[in-house]
Amino acid sequence: MIEDEGKYFCCKGCQGVYHLLREDGLDSFYKKKGSVKLTPVKERTRDLAKFDLEGFHKKYVTKDSDGFNEVSLIIEHIHCAACVWLNEKILHQTDGIIEASINYTDHKAKIVWDPQKIKLSQIIEKIQAIGYDAYAYDPKVAEEKILKQRKEYYIRLAVAIFTSMNIMWLAIAKYFGFFSGMEKDVKFVISFAEFVLATPTLFYSGWVFYRGAYYGLKNKVVGMDMLVASGASLIYLYSIYVLFSGIGETYFDSVVMIITFILVGKYLEVLSKKGVSDSLDSLRTDIPEDVTILVDGKEKTITALEVQIGDKIIIKPGDLAVVDGVVQSGEGSIDESNLTGESQPVLKSKGDTIISGTTSIDSTLVYEATKNFENSTLNSLTTLLEESQNKKPQIQETATKLSRYFSVTILSIAFATFLGWYLYGVGFEKSFIIAVSVIIIACPCALALATPVATLVGLSAAYKKGVLFKEARHIETIAKTKVLLLDKTGTITYGKPQVVEAMEFKEFDKRVLNRMLQSSKHPISQGVAQYLNSDEVVELEEFSAIEAKGLKAKYKGKTYVGGSANYLKELGYRIDKEYERSHFIFGCDGELLAEYQLEDQIKEGVKESLQKIATLGLKPVMVTGDNKKVALAVAKEVGIKECYYEQTPQDKAKVVERFGGGVLMVGDGVNDSLALSYADIACVMGSGADVSIKVSDVILLHDNMKNLVDAIMIGKTTYGFIKQNLALSLIYNALTIPLAIAGFIIPLVAAASMSLSSLIVVGNSMRIQLKHR
Amino acid sequence: MDTNTLVLMISVSLFLGALGLVAFIWGLKTGQFDDQEKMMKGVLFDGEEELNDAANKERKKKERQAQKMDGIVEKDK
Repeated sequence: MIEDEGKYFCCKGCQGVYHLLREDGLDSFYKKKGSVKLTPVKERTRDLAKFDLEGFHKKYVTKDSDGFNEVSLIIEHIHCAACVWLNEKILHQTDGIIEASINYTDHKAKIVWDPQKIKLSQIIEKIQAIGYDAYAYDPKVAEEKILKQRKEYYIRLAVAIFTSMNIMWLAIAKYFGFFSGMEKDVKFVISFAEFVLATPTLFYSGWVFYRGAYYGLKNKVVGMDMLVASGASLIYLYSIYVLFSGIGETYFDSVVMIITFILVGKYLEVLSKKGVSDSLDSLRTDIPEDVTILVDGKEKTITALEVQIGDKIIIKPGDLAVVDGVVQSGEGSIDESNLTGESQPVLKSKGDTIISGTTSIDSTLVYEATKNFENSTLNSLTTLLEESQNKKPQIQETATKLSRYFSVTILSIAFATFLGWYLYGVGFEKSFIIAVSVIIIACPCALALATPVATLVGLSAAYKKGVLFKEARHIETIAKTKVLLLDKTGTITYGKPQVVEAMEFKEFDKRVLNRMLQSSKHPISQGVAQYLNSDEVVELEEFSAIEAKGLKAKYKGKTYVGGSANYLKELGYRIDKEYERSHFIFGCDGELLAEYQLEDQIKEGVKESLQKIATLGLKPVMVTGDNKKVALAVAKEVGIKECYYEQTPQDKAKVVERFGGGVLMVGDGVNDSLALSYADIACVMGSGADVSIKVSDVILLHDNMKNLVDAIMIGKTTYGFIKQNLALSLIYNALTIPLAIAGFIIPLVAAASMSLSSLIVVGNSMRIQLKHR
Repeated sequence: MDTNTLVLMISVSLFLGALGLVAFIWGLKTGQFDDQEKMMKGVLFDGEEELNDAANKERKKKERQAQKMDGIVEKDK
């Protein structure tokens, strides 16, 4: 702890930041942030010059209308609103920056600056100086398009809802007037007002359906859009005729209600597509752009794309390997969990292969590139993922299939009815009215609503339980699955080794052990540190982490060591036990102080959830990259009978293919992303790698198996309700159409019953909520 | 009831409502609803200081634009 004028800092970095802020008069930041904890400023050795390179500017920087430069950045380490306030303030006070606005939710910043007064690298430097970091992202990719689309829909929806609400208070007056009598001119005024409201809704908000119907026709498909568009238009035209001829009733309220309701469903689908591209943007920037290589013994920084086969690449502790290669010198532990799911780091030395996408934990290695970036594992996995998105089976909603025949049939029946009555001799007017009644009563709003409403309710019930369906049709797909494929590490187990057995041989100062553990990123160190659960540390006189062996430190003249049994044995400690599990032994000056045994624990409730899933009709199967012993042990414990172990990412995908269909796969790391994209339904736990989130169809926010059970149950229930709704609407049509053809129904009754059928469908769908409270 | 009164009442009500709708859509288009957190938390940073900052920002922008215009005029010469 550093003390400075009565204030305490954890490190020189934070102290530096405080002084900087005080100079600029911004120390109210500490009050503003309230109880939010900050993280210490880390050493930034990144080369900032690249921000001023022309290539960089071409890709990320645009010129705004005044001729100033504009860039979009993502600011790292923001914890709360106060951080945003601080960054905005610092940037605004910087000479040369015209505008700096940071989004509180996704930490994306838009910065406009005068290139003659300040350089972009200087701006980034400023942000880093106060303890944050920034990297660029290209906002044009997917996101802007989706944002625009979303806004457009929302505006159309707002207009539709506005008119619906207003039309209703007009319509109610007319409903009463129908029974108690209303003067013709009063009725005309109200109807005209309805007409004024309905027109923009039909043509502006309803434009979505006209567009859809048009494209459908171009591809010779008569779908839902066509139905809605034609039904709404016909009612509209008929109502105009009624308005000016004074005969009959207007139905502008129905027109508007149809458009509004169905638009809501479409909007919700557009909404869910946005959250995805946010994660995608951060993923793209996770892959480091620069690589350090050795040229004639000197270090040089180049971009990932410039790496050539044969280049000698240096990776330092914490760095991600960007290309595949073979180790030339150095020795250290590599974290391959991204690729294999193995929580145990792998020791690599000269001659071993380094796979791109893995991270060096605690040592510096020099390796020779055997592939360039484009052909390396990391990049090809990512590309495969993007392409395989299209491998998903397209399952059409049943309603759309039905409606293809439905609308054409109805239109022909109506026309035939019109002809029939006209030829029968009742006159044009009556024939027209009867034909229109047929169309109105057959108007498949119930059919059109059957799926969207049930889906809507299902989606929100799912969201309340922490399940996010990315698209509505995934509800149907998940309801039809037969096989449940589970990844082991991170899905069935936590993926973090935890202490299961601890034995202390003697009393010792835990703070020493704590400090040693905190300086190591090794998962085992973290597991033991978590077990100790303490913030108390002391300053060590000496400390070193030895790759793949353990930790060594000096405190008050004594030498403390901790690590694997083999390591301590090397140092002369006597250890007789054979350890089956992962372990961490701690000793001092030749004496054993404690031993900790760790296991990657199986998540709570997994066994019960799997049993429940079996009752729902799915067969559980396990795939993992881990070794046979561990895999089978875990499978046995949770009750899975079919298990595939030691699988590479490609192997896992093949397992999915072998099942042929109806596969629901659950995973969490980059190592399963390929398999996830092959499965019919891909499911990722909420905290998984961003690539998986992009590929998944269903995201489980609660990160546990019970969440998955809920997802499947809701999917099946909702699908059942969709079928119910469809049946209801079909029965309704089957009964009423003959009645209409026979001339027993006047348009008023037709419209009323149409609304009634819609209500029945909606009401039935609400029952989904009751089932899943 | 006199139909003229009715027409007047309906027109005025709808017009007022439409004003509200237009205002809402304007807010949407200028991106005021985009950032949910900013909407909520932004209220906390609303003192005199912030008002001054906002005024300064506007002033700086205008200055820069004026300078840019001069710069262009200079170049043309």
